[in-house]
Amino acid sequence: MTRAETPKPFAALARPGEPVFQVRGLTKTYGEGEAAVHALEEVDLDCHAGEFVVVLGASGSGKSTLLNLLGGLDSPTHGTLRYRDWDLAGADEAALTQYRRNSVGFVFQFYNLIPSLTARENVALITEIAPDPMSPEEALHLVGLSARLDHFPAQLSGGEQQRVAIARAIAKRPAVLMCDEPTGALDVHTGIVVLEAIEHINRELGTLTLVITHNAVIAEMADRVLTLSDGRIIHERRNARRAAVGSLAW
Amino acid sequence: MSLLDLKLLRDLRALKSQAFAVALVMACGLAMMIMTRSLILSLEDTRDDYYRGHRFAQVFARLKRAPQAVAGQLAAIPGVAAVQTGIALQATLDLPGMDEPATGLILSLPESGELQLNRLYLRAGRMLVGRAPAGQILAGEAFAEANRLRPGSEISAVLYGRRQTFRIAGIVLSPEFVFEAPPGAALPNNKTYGVFWMPYKELATASNLDGAFNNVSLTLAPGVAEEAVIAAVDRVLQPYGGRGAYGRDSHPSHTRVRDEINILQGLSVGFPLVFLSVAAFMTHAVMSRQVTLQREQIAMLKACGFSNRQIGWHYLKFAFVIVFAGIVLGVVGGVALGHRLVDMYHLFFRFPELEFQLARGVLVAAAVVSGLAAVTGVWGAVRHAVHLPPAEAMRPEPPASFRPALIERLGLGRAFTASFRMALRNIERRPARALLTTVALALATGILVVPSSFRDGINHVLDYQWDLIQRQTVFVSLIEPGPVRTLADFRALPGVVLAEPTRGAPVELVAGNYSRRLGLIGLPARATLNRIIGADGRQLILPARGVVLSIKLAEVLHVRPGDMLQIRVLDGKRPVLTVPVAGLSEDFAGTAAFMELDTLNHLLGEGDRISGAYLTVRAGAWREFLRATKEIPRIGNVVIKEAIREGFRRTTAESIGLIQKIYLTFATVVAFGIVYNSARISLSERQRELATLRVVGFTQGEVGAVLIGELVLLTLLAMPFGLLIGSGLSGAILQTVNTEFVRLPLILTPANFAFAVLVVTLASLVSAYLACRRLNRLDLVGVLKARD
Ligand SMILES: Nc1ncnc2c1ncn2[C@@H]1O[C@H](COP(=O)(O)OP(=O)(O)OP(=O)(O)O)[C@@H](O)[C@H]1O
Ligand SMILES: [Mg+2]
Repeated sequence: MTRAETPKPFAALARPGEPVFQVRGLTKTYGEGEAAVHALEEVDLDCHAGEFVVVLGASGSGKSTLLNLLGGLDSPTHGTLRYRDWDLAGADEAALTQYRRNSVGFVFQFYNLIPSLTARENVALITEIAPDPMSPEEALHLVGLSARLDHFPAQLSGGEQQRVAIARAIAKRPAVLMCDEPTGALDVHTGIVVLEAIEHINRELGTLTLVITHNAVIAEMADRVLTLSDGRIIHERRNARRAAVGSLAW
Repeated sequence: MSLLDLKLLRDLRALKSQAFAVALVMACGLAMMIMTRSLILSLEDTRDDYYRGHRFAQVFARLKRAPQAVAGQLAAIPGVAAVQTGIALQATLDLPGMDEPATGLILSLPESGELQLNRLYLRAGRMLVGRAPAGQILAGEAFAEANRLRPGSEISAVLYGRRQTFRIAGIVLSPEFVFEAPPGAALPNNKTYGVFWMPYKELATASNLDGAFNNVSLTLAPGVAEEAVIAAVDRVLQPYGGRGAYGRDSHPSHTRVRDEINILQGLSVGFPLVFLSVAAFMTHAVMSRQVTLQREQIAMLKACGFSNRQIGWHYLKFAFVIVFAGIVLGVVGGVALGHRLVDMYHLFFRFPELEFQLARGVLVAAAVVSGLAAVTGVWGAVRHAVHLPPAEAMRPEPPASFRPALIERLGLGRAFTASFRMALRNIERRPARALLTTVALALATGILVVPSSFRDGINHVLDYQWDLIQRQTVFVSLIEPGPVRTLADFRALPGVVLAEPTRGAPVELVAGNYSRRLGLIGLPARATLNRIIGADGRQLILPARGVVLSIKLAEVLHVRPGDMLQIRVLDGKRPVLTVPVAGLSEDFAGTAAFMELDTLNHLLGEGDRISGAYLTVRAGAWREFLRATKEIPRIGNVVIKEAIREGFRRTTAESIGLIQKIYLTFATVVAFGIVYNSARISLSERQRELATLRVVGFTQGEVGAVLIGELVLLTLLAMPFGLLIGSGLSGAILQTVNTEFVRLPLILTPANFAFAVLVVTLASLVSAYLACRRLNRLDLVGVLKARD
């Protein structure tokens, strides 16, 4: 994958049902020898456009590691990792940067907002470099923060900060959306708002969405539920019907 | 403006006082660089223009007397472009209302037209051209100013024993006397020594030199070697009592200007380099901290697709904003100080016009150098930011592992308060951080030592020169060497307690391929007034055979005690003699060679003669003594030690003092900057922990004590190293400044060290206080909410 050919194809959305990720024997090992930690071992996985995938698993089971690899934040120790027609496992830093810039939206466990920028500016920071973004206002409207546009992160509650982070992730209309425990710190009501925003993007744009959570209830709204343990997918389940977000409660 | 730039701007605002501290340090370095480089440019340009425009000669010679026709012989020497002959005559001046006798050097103006070489610049009044009416004279500006003489003022002079009164027609400047000081004197005394010009005819008649000359200057055709012409001039003038021709390299005024430029050149490198290095160091500290603080932000930016280049550039820009601020402040400061110093140079350099010229080239260099300094400082931090693996940064930083401090482990912990123990543990937990802070504090201390060592060096030289070596009240010289009984006349002057004779002779000292012309000084073996002091600080007894050289002269001639040296006398019977180097004397200005008086007289073969005497005079009889000397016609110069010392205090000392004050101010600013910056970084690192302490019930005082305790500990640790660094820096910078003309010894006084320690301690306390105030204003909830 060379730099010149990357931006455009990465930006385009796949047709629903088209394969997006093709993962074979994906392994990530931290450290060497005695101290080696096998965060992921021989994982096989296929994901398709428009899918909503929930990843469950105990702490330390390798969920974040999997998401980081799929999102191009890190490279696997070995294994195949294809995003549509491109090999992500062998991609260099510049290509991964382009991939993340054009195709991936991240929602982090710890929000990771820039404290010196307002909510609107935090979103605009990303829309500035994305190829076909929505306006920051629109993105913030989707997460119900229209009234907080010019607040700094320090002036927002934890849930509001998380919603800004989600607005930031969806504003670029990403092909894939990666959410690492997006509702971990939120109350039920706010959690629902956040999930609704995520689902909205998933439905409207056909964005492949992967959500890590410890909350099994959230799994009800997924097309597919993966359970990880010790770096392996030990269980995979397909929901016959996705539950409406509003009907969830925990 | 892009949002990343907006972030930059807001980050800068949050760090404004730290950014300002760094910019200020940088500005100090740049201001010095710009100031000194601009002064060098101003002096060089002005000097070169002046020399060219007023045709400053290249070779100079004095002689006893030669008929005008010899001028043709000189002009015929191959390579000589132009010749200017004339008369130079020393005269005693009598100024109304002044007790001390003053000396004037009177030079002749040509009988027709203007001077060929060393043309005069008219400052006020009018020029004297051709056969002007008698009784008129032109006066040099330095003397005229010091004695408040204006065109129309009158002045009396004793020419060859005849007192005459002249009316000053004009005030002039000459490229030959940019630095107007008596021959051999390192320091000007414009009140008692001046240069004058009057028509040839009048001066020739007064000095019995009609149709002859005793002073010659000449210029060379382009590309001609000076040595060959000097040798030829010496050959031509030898029968006429030539005293040895010399080039600009030995010209007193020229070398003084050149030395000043050399000193500036040394200062333009050493100091700025140190300051800019410190600025680079501080930039590094600030940026490292910033990158650590923004670890997660960087990771997020990367995860969202910002490239390494964009992120690297973002942090570099941060540094460049600081550099830009530093450059602006530095240029403004440098130009302002440069102007002040130019005004000061008027005190002892006389140019038609000395304008401050901004060295534009140095602005570019300054931008590049400080940019480089900042980039070097930022580089590591930015690289760290760039190489931060985005996934890695998503994890919170592992909690720091603490353990009891070494002192506690040794069982001494109980002696300290909880706050102090925490400070100790902090230092031990992050030894690299503590080391950096210590280095910064040591640098702050060291920088403060340098300027004061300059001042102490100068004071030492002055005390050495004037208290240890020269213990006379006054030195009197004769117009012509006279018989020894003249000494008895001096002894008989009112108030004279002690009189010691001296004899001077122009000589060339030759050792192998090296040679040097200077006045060989003959003194009694155990002189008590003008003493010769060895490197060990003890008086040297002049041996009956051999010469004693100043250490610098021995260096120039590449000889050591015991080596043989040829002395060629350039006057009188021109004898040549080979003698051993008997010893080396310590002095800090110029070069000198000494010989026992009788040995010298014997060598010269003119019988026992003296050319002057050192006298001590009783304070009570001072006025009487001065009045009496004015009546002695054969007296050439009367050099009063205290007057020179006073003159020095007013001019040179003031100028050096001003430079030293500027540097000391800068050093103080820099010291404060460094210490404050360290305190802020330390606060930023500890913010969360200290806030936690406050939350669980520690008082503001107790929490502040942790911060202050750490700073105080590190300051104490840094001081000895700082003083060491300062001593090293002083030595290195003195080395770059020292010339043959002035050599400053490295003098480190307790007062100097005490001052440095005091300033850094004060800076630490103030910085700790400011940091504590920030701490007290801290939004506790906010700090704990943010992950750090
Ligand atoms: N940089 C690293 N170095 C060493 N080990 C690591 C590193 N990153 C992750 N690990 C290890 O890999 C394993 C999987 O980590 P991962 O972060 O994927 O877990 P997780 O399922 O996301 O857990 P959680 O639910 O707590 O977030 C863990 O045992 C972790 O300790
Ligand atoms: Mg995780």
